[in-house]
Amino acid sequence: MNIFDFFTQPANWVGSEGIPGAIGLHLMYSGISLLIALAIAVPLGVYVGYTGRGEAVVAGLANALRALPTLGLLILVVMILAPVFGSSLAFVLPTIVVLVLLAVPPILTGTYSGIQAADPDAVGAARGMGYTKAQILWHIQLPCALPLLLSGIRGATLQIVSTATVAAYVGLGGLGRFIIDGRAQGDYSKMAAGAILVALLALVLELAFIAIGRLVISPGLQRTTRRSRKTPAPPQPQPPAPAQVLASSAT
Amino acid sequence: MTIDWIFANIGRISELTASHIFLTLVPTLLGLIVALPLGWWAHRRRGAYPVIVGAAGLLYTIPSLALFVLLPQVLGTKILDPLNVVVALTVYTVALLVRVVADGLSSVPIETVQAATAMGYRGWQRLWLVELPVAVPVIASGMRVAVVANVSIVTMAALLGIPQLGSLFTQGFQLRLFVPIITGIVLCLVLAVLLDLLLVWLNRALTPWRQKTVTS
Amino acid sequence: MINFDNVSKVYPDGTVAVDGLTLQAPTGKLTILIGPSGCGKTTSMRMINRLIEPSSGVISLDGTDTQSLNRVDLRRRIGYVIQNAGLFPHRTIVDNVAAMPRLLGTPKREARANAMELLERVGLNEKFANRYPWQLSGGQQQRVGVARALATDPPFLLMDEPFSAVDPIVRAQLQEEFLRLQREIGKTIVMVTHDIDEALKLGDQVAVLREGGHLAQVASPAHLLAHPADAFVADFVGTARGYRALGFVTADGTLGVDREPTVRVGDDAATATVGADGWALAVDESNIPQGWVQLGRLNGAQITESDINISGTVAKEFGNLRDMLNSALSSPSGRGVVVDERGVLVGTVSAEAIVAAIRTAKQEVLAS
Repeated sequence: MNIFDFFTQPANWVGSEGIPGAIGLHLMYSGISLLIALAIAVPLGVYVGYTGRGEAVVAGLANALRALPTLGLLILVVMILAPVFGSSLAFVLPTIVVLVLLAVPPILTGTYSGIQAADPDAVGAARGMGYTKAQILWHIQLPCALPLLLSGIRGATLQIVSTATVAAYVGLGGLGRFIIDGRAQGDYSKMAAGAILVALLALVLELAFIAIGRLVISPGLQRTTRRSRKTPAPPQPQPPAPAQVLASSAT
Repeated sequence: MTIDWIFANIGRISELTASHIFLTLVPTLLGLIVALPLGWWAHRRRGAYPVIVGAAGLLYTIPSLALFVLLPQVLGTKILDPLNVVVALTVYTVALLVRVVADGLSSVPIETVQAATAMGYRGWQRLWLVELPVAVPVIASGMRVAVVANVSIVTMAALLGIPQLGSLFTQGFQLRLFVPIITGIVLCLVLAVLLDLLLVWLNRALTPWRQKTVTS
Repeated sequence: MINFDNVSKVYPDGTVAVDGLTLQAPTGKLTILIGPSGCGKTTSMRMINRLIEPSSGVISLDGTDTQSLNRVDLRRRIGYVIQNAGLFPHRTIVDNVAAMPRLLGTPKREARANAMELLERVGLNEKFANRYPWQLSGGQQQRVGVARALATDPPFLLMDEPFSAVDPIVRAQLQEEFLRLQREIGKTIVMVTHDIDEALKLGDQVAVLREGGHLAQVASPAHLLAHPADAFVADFVGTARGYRALGFVTADGTLGVDREPTVRVGDDAATATVGADGWALAVDESNIPQGWVQLGRLNGAQITESDINISGTVAKEFGNLRDMLNSALSSPSGRGVVVDERGVLVGTVSAEAIVAAIRTAKQEVLAS
C-alpha cells in the first residue's frame, strides 16, 4: 500500500472531513487560540518587562508548564471542563483553554525578556532627551523587543499547531483526526497523510515567521542573522537562555 | 480509592515508569553523542553554522505525533516499535543541542583557546581537554531543556499504543478515571525534576572550578 | 546660565551624594565637573535634567527653577550625550538624529534634511546616514550622539563622560572637533569627566568635587593649575601641573623667533646653507617644514627623503608655551620649529628663549 493513496482519492478532498476542510479547521482553532493568548500574554509581558514585577513568578510558571506533559494536561482539562460546557462544544472549548494555556508562557517570556533586553543606554538616552515613559515603550523598547517577542509568538504558534493535532484524541477536528482515525481504522495511508500535512503546515508556518521577521524587525537588530566574516564576532556570546532554545518547541 | 487504584496497578505503573525512563534517557544520550561533532563542525565552519542551525530549527518544528507516524516509513519499522520513539526523540535532541554545542564552544574565551594552542595542545587535545570542559555549563543547560522536553514528548507515543507513562492518560480517558491521569502527570513531573537535578549535579561535578552559584 | 544654589542629594539610606553645591555654569561656556568616583559629579549633572531629583536646593536654567517645569519639557530643552552614545539600535543613523524632532512633529523630510546637515557638522560622511549603529565604530557612534543631542537646537547640553569609551587617539580627535564645534554653536554645556587632561583641554571652567559631594574648587584651567585651593585639588590636577600650566600661557611678541636657513630634497650637500651645528631644516615647495637634516652625515651627495629626521614636533606661532617647549625639546637640533596657521615655516626658537619667556610669564601670573 502506498502512503500517498489517501491523497489520490478525490473523495478525500471534499467536505468538512476532507483535506481542505481539515486544514481550515486546524488553522481556525489554532488562530483563535493564538489570538486569545496574544491578548493575554502581550499586555502582561509588557507589564512584567516594564515594571520588573512578577518576573520570578512568571518564569517559574513557564518552567513548571514546560515540564508538564501536554497530553496529560489536555486530557485532564477536557475531562474536568467537558461537563461544564454544552455538548456541542464539550471538546472544543476545553481544548482551546489548554492551547491558550500552552501558548501564553512563550509569548509572555518573549515579551518581557525582549523589553528587558532593550539596550539600557538607548533607554537612558531617550529618558534624558525627554521621551515620556509611553514614548520610550512605544518607540524604543517595543521595537527592540520585537526579535524576542516574535520568536515567542513563533514558539507559541508551533506549540498550538502541534497540540491541536494531539487534541484530535479528545475529539477536536482538524488534521489530527486523520492520524487518530487512521490509527483506529488501521489505515496507515490516512495516518501518514495527516502526519505529512501537519508537518508541512508546521514547516510553512515556521518559514512564514522567518519571512515576517525579516520584514518587521529592523535590520539594526538583525546583526546575528547577518553575521559575516568581516564583522568580528561578539567577544563572548552569552549561553542561550532556555526560553530561547525552546522557542520552537516540539511536542 | 485513589490509593487502591495505585496499589492494584503498582506493577504496571512501575513497568510504564521504567519504559518511560528508558525512552527518555536513551535518545537524550544518543542525541548528545550525535550533536557534539555536528555542533563542533558548525562552530568551526562559520558557513556551516546557519545551514546546520537552520535545518535543526526546521526539524524541531515537526510535531512529534507526525514524526512518530512517519518514521516507520523511513526506518521500515512497525508503527508500534519503540524504536520510532527513540529515533524521533534523538532527532529532536540533536536539533536542540547542535546549536547549544556550537554556541557553547564559541563561548570559550578566545584567549583560552590561544593560550592552549601556544602551550602546544594539538587540535583534538585542545577540543577535548580545554574547549569542551569550558563549554560544559552551556551544553548542560541545553541538556536540561532537552531532557525535560523529552519526558513530556514521550507521552505522545501513547496515542499510537506504545506503552510508557502516557498510557495512563489514554487509559484514564477511556475509563473516565482521574486517578491514572493525575498519577501519570505527577510521575512525569517527578521524573522531569529528578533528571533535571541529575544534570545540575553532573554539571557541578564536571566544572569544579566554577563559583557555586545557583543556575536555573 | 545653569545655576546650582545650595543643592544637596541625600539618599534614603543616608548616603550624601552631593552636599550643598553652589555653582554657576555660564551661558555659552563649557563647565566641567570632575572628581574621583563617588564625588557626586554625575549625580550633580543628572539633577539638572531631573533624571535624579535633588533633595534640597534650587537648580535653575536662565532663572527658571527646574522644579517649576514638567520633567519631560525640561529635558527637551537640554541636549543629552552619554558615554556609550546610547543610540537607538533599531533606527538608522539619520533617523537617530531626527528622532526627537520627529517626535515633536517636524515633518519627516525636514527633520532628515536637518539631521544630514548635523551629521556633516560633526564630521560624519553622508554614506553613514543609512547605516545602523552597530555598523559604526565607537568614535563614529559618539559623533552621532552629539548630533542627536543638537537636533532640536537646545540652548543647554549635558555630556556624561562623552569621550571616555573610545581609544586615546580617537578621543583626542573627538575633543578637538568638539572644541571647534562649540566655538561655532556656543552652547551652555555641563560635562562630566574623570580625565583631568580632558577637563583642562576642554573646560572654560573646571569644578573639582571631592568625596561626599563637596565642591573643592571651581576655576579656569590655568587658574586651577597655578592656584590649587588645597592639597586635594593640587593632588588631583597632578604632579605634571607645572608643565600642563604652560599650555595656558600664550607666546607673545617677546618670544624671539630666529630665522632658520632651509634646504630642500634634491639640494646639493656642498652648496647647502648649514647651521653652525651641522643641522639644517628641510622644507617643501610651499615652505612647509619636513624635518631636520644633518649635512655631514648624508647618504649621498644630494639630500634625499631618507636623510630627513622627523622626530621634531612643530608649534604654532602665538601658540602656547607648552607646544613651543615640546617643539624645542623634541628637535634633534635643539631648535623648535614654529609655523603659522597654514603650516608655513616662521622660524625656530631655542629652549633657552622659551624658558626665559616662561620666567617672564610666571612673574606676570604671580603678580596678577
